[in-house]
Amino acid sequence: MTSATARAAGRGAAWAWRIVPIGLFLLVWQALGSSRLVDTSFLPTPIMVAHALGDLLSGHEIRDNLLVTLWRAIAGLVAGAAAGIALGVGMARSAAFRGYLAPIVGATYSLPKTALVPLLILWFGIGDRMAIAAVFLTCLLPVVVHTVHGVTATPPVLVWSAQALGASRRQVLWRVLLPHALPDIFTGLRVALGFAFVVAISAEMIASTAGIGRLTFMYGENGAYDYMFAAVASVVLVAFLADRALLGLGAVCLRWHESGAGEA
Amino acid sequence: MADAAGITRRWIAGNARALVSVGAVLIAWEAAARLELAPPLFLPSVSAVASRIAALTADGSLPIDLAVSLARTFAGLALATAAGVTLGIAMARSRALHWLFDPLVSLGFPAPKIAFIPVFILWFGIDSLSKVLLVAFACVFPVVIATYDAARAVRRTIVWSAQSLGTSRRRLMWGVLLPACQPRIFAALRVAMPVALITTFTSEMVAGGGGMGASLMYAQRFFESATVFAYIVVMLALGLAFDNAMLMLRARIPAWREDG
Repeated sequence: MTSATARAAGRGAAWAWRIVPIGLFLLVWQALGSSRLVDTSFLPTPIMVAHALGDLLSGHEIRDNLLVTLWRAIAGLVAGAAAGIALGVGMARSAAFRGYLAPIVGATYSLPKTALVPLLILWFGIGDRMAIAAVFLTCLLPVVVHTVHGVTATPPVLVWSAQALGASRRQVLWRVLLPHALPDIFTGLRVALGFAFVVAISAEMIASTAGIGRLTFMYGENGAYDYMFAAVASVVLVAFLADRALLGLGAVCLRWHESGAGEA
Repeated sequence: MADAAGITRRWIAGNARALVSVGAVLIAWEAAARLELAPPLFLPSVSAVASRIAALTADGSLPIDLAVSLARTFAGLALATAAGVTLGIAMARSRALHWLFDPLVSLGFPAPKIAFIPVFILWFGIDSLSKVLLVAFACVFPVVIATYDAARAVRRTIVWSAQSLGTSRRRLMWGVLLPACQPRIFAALRVAMPVALITTFTSEMVAGGGGMGASLMYAQRFFESATVFAYIVVMLALGLAFDNAMLMLRARIPAWREDG
């Protein structure tokens, strides 16, 4: 009990020690503005940004727009992950399927997906469906590639042992191949999560009527720079927390795996 | 001659499935467009897109856009590499610098850098400078992290040996640390390359100012679907060409191989 609280306190202290540099960074930033070395209309001080952020949080503007962006990013990510895992397993299990699909995956993997936004606007119009489709296409490929890698890297001995003990194809898939691929799938998901935010926000800045990307841009065009910085800060925080949440989820799902303990 | 034919035949045999699937996609696309399964506005035919690419190349607009976008991409990547390698090695060599920068790097790494476009426009204008710096900002994080990890993984005995033989700090850096970090830095650049391209194109799409992204948006605004497709196809080819070029470089240069 005491050792547990001591360990928690130790972790708290380590965490606080890691926060200090961010505090220093904010102090320098504040000093630049307060000392009038930098014009605060170009670089609002952290206190001004915090005021703007508080103001935005008490209203519904940032919440509504941030939730729109989050919904688009997560809906696209979940759909892309589901389709990506299914395709990846299919490609890993059938050489013919992989032979036909791999060149298409390879050719489209390096396409900057935001380039598809104008096309998706033509097909879906401006709005949720366009943004979700863009995020879906972006998230699909990293998940496919990592799933294929994870499943094909399963040692054949594991599959043979399961089969020798009478496991059906379905059992081999769910009990052997997918668990073995899970660390790789999480790596793919983490890549996809980063892209999901980039593409959702880009789509909103290119053409949208709602979302945090559009809101940031609108504040910039209206010269409300403290609000613009507040909106950007909220994006950075949300993306950081989403990444940490995914790492945490990975640590929980992979607690049986040797890589699971060390991460997060 | 016969040998060349043999090589060609073997290549076709080896890539039969790839040729079939890519060919099938192109044929299905052309057929769908010809049969007007979708209005031409939504889906121009493959042949229309190909002839548009030829036309845009002939009138010089596509080559100019390409040059503008690539100059921005590579300027940003070069800045990111220089800054990222310096910071990564500094963080690996000094505990204080690691303590100071690590939280900022952890916070910045997952941030969608594209959200900073309005900030960069405010500070650096709407022309090339803001785009180049945004590309550098987007690409610097993977380079810092890879360089730091690589420099930490350099065996201490190697560093100690060099130091005990009287190697200067500068020689240690250029002769020992940087060569040891090369494979990881190269791997990070392979990750950063598509990020650089997507950041360039997207900032051009959002803020204009010439380049592939700006022309793509311009065509979309006037519902020039064939031109939209033409630019997308060229962007796809570009991403593919660069990734293949980097793989070829890695195969040619032993020092850049992960195992070499």
